[in-house]
Amino acid sequence: MCVNNNKDILNDIINASEKFSGNDAMVIDGIHYSYRDLIGKAKGIAAFFNDPTERIIGIIAENKIETYASILATLLTGRTYVILHPAYPPERNIGIIQQTGIHTILHSKKYDVGILGSNRTRWFCTSDISSASGKDKWTKTESKDYAYIIFTSGSTGIPKGVPISRKNLNAFYNAYCNLGWNLDSNDRLLQMFELTFDISVVSFLYPLTIGACEYTVGNETAKYLKVFDILETEHISFASLTASILQLFSPYFQDVFLPDLKYVGLTAEATNADMVKKLSKSAPNALFVNLYGPTESTIFCTAYFLPKEGEIKGHNGTVAIGKPFEDITAMIADGNGEKITDGSQGELWVSGPQIMDGYWNNPEKTSEAIVTASDGKVYYRTGDICYMDNESDIIYCGRGDSQVKIQGFRIELGEIEYAARKFLNNECNAVAFATPTDGMMELHLVIEADKCDTESLMEGLRHLLPGYMMPKTIHLLKPFPTNTNNKIDRKAIKETYTK
Amino acid sequence: MYTIEIQKELGGILGKVLKKEDIELDQNTKASDVPGWDSLTNMLFINEIEKHYKIRFSFREIVKITNVGELCSAILSKLGK
Repeated sequence: MCVNNNKDILNDIINASEKFSGNDAMVIDGIHYSYRDLIGKAKGIAAFFNDPTERIIGIIAENKIETYASILATLLTGRTYVILHPAYPPERNIGIIQQTGIHTILHSKKYDVGILGSNRTRWFCTSDISSASGKDKWTKTESKDYAYIIFTSGSTGIPKGVPISRKNLNAFYNAYCNLGWNLDSNDRLLQMFELTFDISVVSFLYPLTIGACEYTVGNETAKYLKVFDILETEHISFASLTASILQLFSPYFQDVFLPDLKYVGLTAEATNADMVKKLSKSAPNALFVNLYGPTESTIFCTAYFLPKEGEIKGHNGTVAIGKPFEDITAMIADGNGEKITDGSQGELWVSGPQIMDGYWNNPEKTSEAIVTASDGKVYYRTGDICYMDNESDIIYCGRGDSQVKIQGFRIELGEIEYAARKFLNNECNAVAFATPTDGMMELHLVIEADKCDTESLMEGLRHLLPGYMMPKTIHLLKPFPTNTNNKIDRKAIKETYTK
Repeated sequence: MYTIEIQKELGGILGKVLKKEDIELDQNTKASDVPGWDSLTNMLFINEIEKHYKIRFSFREIVKITNVGELCSAILSKLGK
């Protein structure tokens, strides 16, 4: 547990790697790498950065020790890393390269410039770089320098860059440590996130600060099986998981026993409380923590520790997001940007040292998202609809854009989905959307199933929902499309029926 | 029932899951060889296999399977053949 609030995540990694140099730092595809191996590779890669003016380095996302060492080398030499994904369309990667002015791309043998088509970048194959040793002086960095830039989907189709500074990252790190994890160099942690996704930053870096060992899972077929295989056979004590992975694995919860799991982080998307209850039977010693945060607020900015017994707070079956991290101010804002104090719903705004300064070279989007409220503080508008209960826990209700008005009624699509899932005994995912038809908003419900008695579902919904919330049409779609972060792609589902 | 019959049936089931024509499989085919065979479709494929043959695999049985040949053997063994 951290004892002060001035810790530097990279200093702590260097210190831990010296103290625990012979210990396993990472296990990737069954191969064990010590702290000495990892840092040696990072030093070897860092030696190739010979242009001090080159600040941003591109790294191809792979599940390899060289990839992780490349991230460390970039961070420890004061540079900024940007992940390029081999599964992205070349146009997207090229767009990111052009936006950030990347000249150097680090990759392993498997991928080369071919994944981008022709492009004027320098490619370094890190598989061929030898490890280096010796006491290097890593670059002293400025807190305003960026650690990484994550690109999220922009509504216009152009990827939107979220630059996270060292100040943001360290503010996150100190607050995250102070959540009070009981973890040390004997622990084993899971890193299952795509490197394009910011939860990978904490899943990769945090274990290295305490001298622990992390097990990675790449982007492979049947990742959900691999994740639970590793959790059980490698006696993992900390795992952050997504709701999608839990849903896919749920038929097998009874087949695994995970007594070594001390913590399960519920991350990346809204988690169903019933799913947690089911998993908790297989992980009897685990404390479940819902960790929420937009990329713009540096990984996570609120946490809700689920009670072992009793009621799990939430809304429409979705687990609450809890209290803000220390130094984060959260408020529920009304349509005029004023703080809501009576417990009703509004948009969640967050402020504090974890919040990015602004989108990469995008002042227009920045001014929409980063605003100064009447209390004089600068807030990031999350776009998430929440309310605060009388114990100051924040309850997540859905995305702002998941609320629609029909016949003057404000409707939460999540409520329709919840009713449908409930009627179907939580056996299927459901996504609702509204689309204008002949000038009127019409509700559609999509069920993730091949077969479903839609008539009886419609009848069941009539008992659960007011008339104005009834879907006009029920569609069946299996499987639901997902994005590269394994989240259900709501936009793609809607487009299936509206284009 | 023989391995070759099961293999052919699996090609049909996988094709249905992937919303394509029957897929030609051989004993060495791995998920990564078939476009679209990912985490989600893998789960659906196993569901369909379980329904088709009226069997149930445990997690440990599934996780050991690395190619179509091993999948056929696992099905045959469940069917007691």
